[in-house]
Amino acid sequence: MVRLITHNLLACHAKGCTSNNFPLQFKDVQIVVRESEFNPDFLRGFIPKIEWPALVSSSRELGDTSLSDQLPEMLDDAFLKTLHRVLFEIHVEEGVMICPNCSHHYPISNGIPNMASSVTLLIRGLPYLASSWLNMKLANDLKIS
Amino acid sequence: MAADFVRWWTVRWGSCDARLSSSATPMAPPVTITSVDASSPEAYELANVHDVYDQIAPHFSSTRYKPWPIIATFLQSLRPEWVGLDLGTGNGKYLPFCPCAIGLDRSRNLLDIARTAGGMTREVVQGDVLENYWRPGVFDYVISIATIHHLATPGRRKRAIQQMLSAVSPDHGRVLIYVWAVRQDEQSKRTIPTTDSSQGQDVFVPWVLSDDQNRIFNRYYHMFADGELEELVITAAGEIGLYVGQGRQEGIEIVQQGWERSNHYVELRRYRVQG
Repeated sequence: MVRLITHNLLACHAKGCTSNNFPLQFKDVQIVVRESEFNPDFLRGFIPKIEWPALVSSSRELGDTSLSDQLPEMLDDAFLKTLHRVLFEIHVEEGVMICPNCSHHYPISNGIPNMASSVTLLIRGLPYLASSWLNMKLANDLKIS
Repeated sequence: MAADFVRWWTVRWGSCDARLSSSATPMAPPVTITSVDASSPEAYELANVHDVYDQIAPHFSSTRYKPWPIIATFLQSLRPEWVGLDLGTGNGKYLPFCPCAIGLDRSRNLLDIARTAGGMTREVVQGDVLENYWRPGVFDYVISIATIHHLATPGRRKRAIQQMLSAVSPDHGRVLIYVWAVRQDEQSKRTIPTTDSSQGQDVFVPWVLSDDQNRIFNRYYHMFADGELEELVITAAGEIGLYVGQGRQEGIEIVQQGWERSNHYVELRRYRVQG
């Protein structure tokens, strides 16, 4: 499952990609919203770990605009419920996460992101790589013409 | 594509299935000694670990499971607001016992089971324990139960430990690692080809499908010698500049280590003195 609680912890690990490699950008996503149990104590403990600007921009990429640019000072129940929904209830079922620095693609299918190494991708993902290369080439060709 | 690789490796390595089936009985077939092609441990693991798990995944029970005492105690000692990583989560059997944890595994088919382990939505990620896909030090704890014994060289097992140490908080991060031991207890159902527990041993452990006794899948394991896990941890930590022991500004403490139910385990804690 890719929910924003996981996404906010992920960073690109491609070789040599060590800066501006976070947050991964969502593209072509399919989303399902599922309710889950609200746990305010967990959220209060988790807030210091959150990279707030990344969470705000990523949630907006997923079409949710409920978070404000700044983390509010008052962590009241209304805010925690909003945060709970953003972190736990938006499920990205299909799509791609793209590194803002090196453009490495991490596909998500059936709710599971594939972060496996490029070697694994080469062995298992050749069809995927070939199609993304073709797409890129087509896009470039179109741009040029 | 993956199936082609298995076929290629089977031809390349000689059919281990054929070797086993001659001695296979309706009971569990014996564990056999193997040796790793050091020139390509990655391809070796792909054929003898990852593809095997992908094929036998549906036969893994995802029903109730009770963690062993050391693991249960460790998980109960974690703070409820902590976030952890289960490296080599398999079918996710530990996820229901963890405070918020993300399960990581190479096997896509096992993850399809893990994503609803214990009847709840779980966070799972397909990936390699040799890589770190996370903001550095973002996790409060890491567990890796019965995973790094599937890595085919000492260097790769060491690197996996280094990734665990880097994934947890430098201030309080906790790590629990379990691996299979040469030293087996009397409850072990396996016949082991060696009893010299001072030497690690590379083996194939057969998995027989319950509905087709003729299909045997061999999984690669490195059975750890007595003391091997601790030594590996100390080398791994030293190489990334982490002192092992107490009393420094920053380092790793070995909280406990030992042997339980035919496994070696080690529990680690990172610490950093403030100010």
